Amino acid sequence: MFDSLGTVISRVLRLGAVLVAAIGLVGSLVGYLLTGLPGVYAALIGSGAAFLFTALTALSVLIGSKLNLAGFLGAVLGGWLIKMVLFLIGFSFLNKSDWLTHDSRPIVFFTVVSAVIGGLVIDTLIVSKARLTATLDKP
Amino acid sequence: MQIIHLAADAVTQVSQVTGNLGVLGYGLAAIGPGIGVGLVVSKTIESIARQPELAARLQVTMWLGIAFTEALALIGLATPFIFAA
Repeated sequence: MFDSLGTVISRVLRLGAVLVAAIGLVGSLVGYLLTGLPGVYAALIGSGAAFLFTALTALSVLIGSKLNLAGFLGAVLGGWLIKMVLFLIGFSFLNKSDWLTHDSRPIVFFTVVSAVIGGLVIDTLIVSKARLTATLDKP
Repeated sequence: MQIIHLAADAVTQVSQVTGNLGVLGYGLAAIGPGIGVGLVVSKTIESIARQPELAARLQVTMWLGIAFTEALALIGLATPFIFAA
C-alpha cells in the first residue's frame, strides 16, 4: 500500500509535535533551574515558535498539492514569505519585551535550534521511509 | 597609492555608520536561504516540466529541500536572542 502526501505530512506533524513537547519540557526544566519562571516561558516560546514555523511549511505543501503548479508555488512560497515577515515582527517584539529577562533569552535560541534540527531529522526519516507513488495523487 | 586612500575613506565612512547592526545581520542571514529556496523551487519546476507524472514525488522532495533551507532562516531570526548586547 502506498502513502499519500497527506499521510506523510500528518505523520511528520504528529511526530514533530511529540518532539517539540519533549524539547519544551526539557527546556522548561533547564530554564527554570537556570533563570526561574522566565526560563520556562522562554523554552515554551522557543519550541512552540519552531514547531509553528516548520508545521506551516508542511501544511502549505499539503494545501498547495491540491492546486495546479502555479497554485502550489503560490501557496508554498507566498506562505513562506508571509510567515517570515510575521516571525520577524513577533521575534522583534519578543526581544524588546521586559518579562523575558536577559538571562533567559539564550534559552529561546537553544530551544529553537534544537527543535528545528530535531524536526529536520524527523522529516528526513519519515520521507525516506514513506512509500510514495511515482504518479500524481489526483484521481 | 590612490587605492589606499580609497580604502581609508571607505573605512572612515563605515566607522561613521550608526543604528542597529542587527538589521544588517538579518539582511545577510536572508541571502543564503533566499538563494537556496530559489534554487530548490527552480529545479523542481524544471523537473516537473520534464516529467509531469513525477510531480507528487518531486513536491515531497521540494518540501524537504525547503525545510532544510528555511532552518537556516529561522536560526538567523533567532540569533538576536543570543547575540544581543
